[in-house]
Amino acid sequence: MAKPSRYLMAPLLAVLLMGGTSIGAHAQDMTDVGTPRNQTLVVQTFDGKSANPDDQNPLNSYAIWHGFRELGWSYLWEDDTSTGKSYPELADGMPQVLNPEHTKFRVKIRPGVYWSDGVEFTTDDILYTLATEFKYKDKLTNVATIVNYIKPDSWKAVDKYTFEVETQKPAYDFVQVMGVYTWASAFIPVPKHVFEKQADVTTFKNQNPVTLGPYTVKQYDPNGFWQLWQLRDDWQRSGWGNLGQPKPKYVLYKDFGAEETRTLAFVQNKYDEDTFMSPDSIQAAEAKNPAIQTFSPTMPFNDMNDACSYGIYLNQQRAPLDKPEVRWALALSIDLQTVGITAVNGEFKAAALPLADTPITDPLFYKPLLDFLTGLKLKDGYQPFNANFGSDLIAKLKDQGMDDSMLPTGDAIKAGFGQGWWKYDPAEAEKLLNSVGIKKGSDGFYTLPDGSPWTIDFVFPSDWNKVMERVGFSIADSWKKAGFNVNARQVDNGEFTTVQNTNSKLQAMINWSSSCTYNQNFLNSWRSFTPTNVKDANSNDPLSGNYLRVTDQKIFDLVADATKQETTSDAFLKDGQQIAQELTSGMQLINLMNIPTTIPTNSYYWKNYPKADNFYAAPYTWWSSFKKTIVNIQPTGK
Amino acid sequence: MGVVQYVAKRVATYLAVLFIGLTITFFLPRLLPTNPIDSYIGQIQSRAAGMLTPEAIASLRESLQQLYGLKGDLLSQYLGYLNRVVLHFDFGPSFAYYPAPVSSMIFTALPWTLALLLISTLIAWVIGNAVGVVAGYFHTKRWATVLEIVGILLYPIPYYILAVSVILLLAYVVPVFPLSPTFPVGQLTLPMVGQILYNSFLPALTLVLAGFGWNILSMKALAVATTEEPYVTFARLKGTSHGTRMIRYVFRNAMLPQVTALALSLGMVFNGALLTEILFSYPGVGLLMRTAASNGDYDVLYGAIALSIIAVATAGLVIDLVYPLLDPRIRRA
Repeated sequence: MAKPSRYLMAPLLAVLLMGGTSIGAHAQDMTDVGTPRNQTLVVQTFDGKSANPDDQNPLNSYAIWHGFRELGWSYLWEDDTSTGKSYPELADGMPQVLNPEHTKFRVKIRPGVYWSDGVEFTTDDILYTLATEFKYKDKLTNVATIVNYIKPDSWKAVDKYTFEVETQKPAYDFVQVMGVYTWASAFIPVPKHVFEKQADVTTFKNQNPVTLGPYTVKQYDPNGFWQLWQLRDDWQRSGWGNLGQPKPKYVLYKDFGAEETRTLAFVQNKYDEDTFMSPDSIQAAEAKNPAIQTFSPTMPFNDMNDACSYGIYLNQQRAPLDKPEVRWALALSIDLQTVGITAVNGEFKAAALPLADTPITDPLFYKPLLDFLTGLKLKDGYQPFNANFGSDLIAKLKDQGMDDSMLPTGDAIKAGFGQGWWKYDPAEAEKLLNSVGIKKGSDGFYTLPDGSPWTIDFVFPSDWNKVMERVGFSIADSWKKAGFNVNARQVDNGEFTTVQNTNSKLQAMINWSSSCTYNQNFLNSWRSFTPTNVKDANSNDPLSGNYLRVTDQKIFDLVADATKQETTSDAFLKDGQQIAQELTSGMQLINLMNIPTTIPTNSYYWKNYPKADNFYAAPYTWWSSFKKTIVNIQPTGK
Repeated sequence: MGVVQYVAKRVATYLAVLFIGLTITFFLPRLLPTNPIDSYIGQIQSRAAGMLTPEAIASLRESLQQLYGLKGDLLSQYLGYLNRVVLHFDFGPSFAYYPAPVSSMIFTALPWTLALLLISTLIAWVIGNAVGVVAGYFHTKRWATVLEIVGILLYPIPYYILAVSVILLLAYVVPVFPLSPTFPVGQLTLPMVGQILYNSFLPALTLVLAGFGWNILSMKALAVATTEEPYVTFARLKGTSHGTRMIRYVFRNAMLPQVTALALSLGMVFNGALLTEILFSYPGVGLLMRTAASNGDYDVLYGAIALSIIAVATAGLVIDLVYPLLDPRIRRA
């Protein structure tokens, strides 16, 4: 008699093997979602797993990730991330300014652009989108920027391809708000002919949406792990069909999970582009698979061109951090070379000014202000800037056994490691602290002027941002060694935002939100330095901006002046440079480094990704400029 | 005590546990150092490049409080919460993913969690206890010691190490299973069931291995003690076979605490298995709760935790009601 277990196990095994066989058969040249691997660009999702993949309505929040921003939507103007300059996408040229106050604009859109369902894109769609955003501004969660920027009911169609609109205030950044600034646009046109048929657009999910971009959603995982895009047959008449032939027929966004499994999947050529991967994992993957490449073949290897930079935000409204001597002491007590080597294997680019040092910002801010940095003197005459920071770092890395061939030489040193940073000088730091009555106690830690213990609450992200987490612990270590009693706290992103926004909760934190300047338009980051964004030093009310807690009237005046200037003008840039100098000389932000975004790629199936020596676009798969990558990559033929 | 009294007492305790649990669930997330509205406004302000004025933020805050059901004082919010949850089993919308309803988010994740954890918990329990009772009943035999060693080896391995080792072995060195699953979409068909089982095999295997060791060791210890009981000796003197004594005399008596542990484990299944979900990119309630906690998404936390409380309390009630059927001593008491 046959054992009952045989009847139980046999079908189970058969089903298991069927599943395994069907996928195993695909494993050679098909993706897990059944598309030919050599026609599919596979990228790791930036936001991991989506919790609400069904909601694909861009007027609500989710539908910017997993390819919507890059492949599905299209914008009036796009940002050329290799130069920082805007160019028209849906618009037919730049807007015409209709009044001297710079509040009225006329915009022409390109004829011959079609939605993915074959309906022509016209000004009706633009006006409908604006009207809907205003009508449901209390219920839609992704319209706040536009309804606070555009004047209500100010839009009108001139003809099928021309419209006029007014802004609430003089707007010199119209192109960058109504179009893309760095990674995204606040204004995403929706198809009127689809949305107007919905009973309630605020809860309309817009699944498998009608798109303006050259791709449409072919399939998505209801659990939020992956989403597959397919190239439209009529991609040439899509919103950016004029940019060139998109190379992959399919683009699969997938979360490959924890870094351990992601690295192994990368080695197995399961996907082509990653987001943030730790230097250790990249090294391990490179050693196993020669197709895996970093952004640059020499140090610091990784991409450093993000718009934002990591820095330490101090509550400079609360004693003793209200004194510039204390803030400078904290800066001079950071051994940034050791921090960078410990946290990110030395793969970082230092940035002393309050913004990232990139090929775009370097000629605008860093090079013109180099004399200011080298000549900067503190009250006691001390000159804190170390212009040889990069060379010193290289010497340290050599001492640690790094191969010469991996290290940059000549001009590449500053291009790789930055123009310089502050000296590591705990003795000068102690001198500065002593000058304001802060002295070391018997336990070796600094005490407040009244002799009471001084503990710095230092907040940084937990494992949701591993680079900041590592940098945070390393800085805390550096400060402790210099005599600061630090309470290092890694927090979830919810608490991170609360600390950032609340005066009573902030002493010191690593942050990036007020140092995001991608091109000359520094207002993106510093617009919020206004007296209206200053609250009491111990307030529990959340701030609406100005997370650096700037109270400097000179900076407020410069910001106010800048809002009246053309963002591309010399006068505007001059204001920005002066703000940078003010923030730096008062050490109102201890800026640390560009964000090392790593972005390793796998060239087994696709090649010609953006790289340091082929910088045709920022290499980020989650920025709208990823479209440049899509049209520039080439299949390898494997 | 009569049957009615016994059942009424248990049901009253059950309802009290639910009420206290749901109340704590309401207040606990509010102690988090996170404000969902501030978090959300922070995101919007960042997207808007700091363009929103304080007045615009105040207006946005008002709208969000209305949308999220956070308007009014704490007591009125609490009463509204009890009304929605108890009478309508409605946890409202997710704050972080508005307007997605919490119930749909939970019910999307729950079947995956239940399928994986129920099956792996039951398999680990059945195999672990079967091996454990054999190892305990024949504890004087050398081969039985080998069975115990399996438990001793598996039990102390941290789950993370166990899971990564399994991944490395079966998805990388010998790549017969996927490193990260890709669950198919569409109507459920037999091949699709096959793909789901195939993709779920590694996480299930690690959970079985992790639970297996404890079941072997605990059942073995119980079985050794029970084997020494006079009624087992009496059965042996009566001439009963090893099989009869092991199953009817030793296993039946030794399994009572194991049944309690199983029932509680099954109740805990609703919490999900966070580490498994993270390592294997497996959809489930654990990741949902983790994301909700970090975003201060009260409603999702309410929904997921309330479900877990109901499950654990119900498991406890079921044990209380079933125990008398398994153990005549309780019936007689």
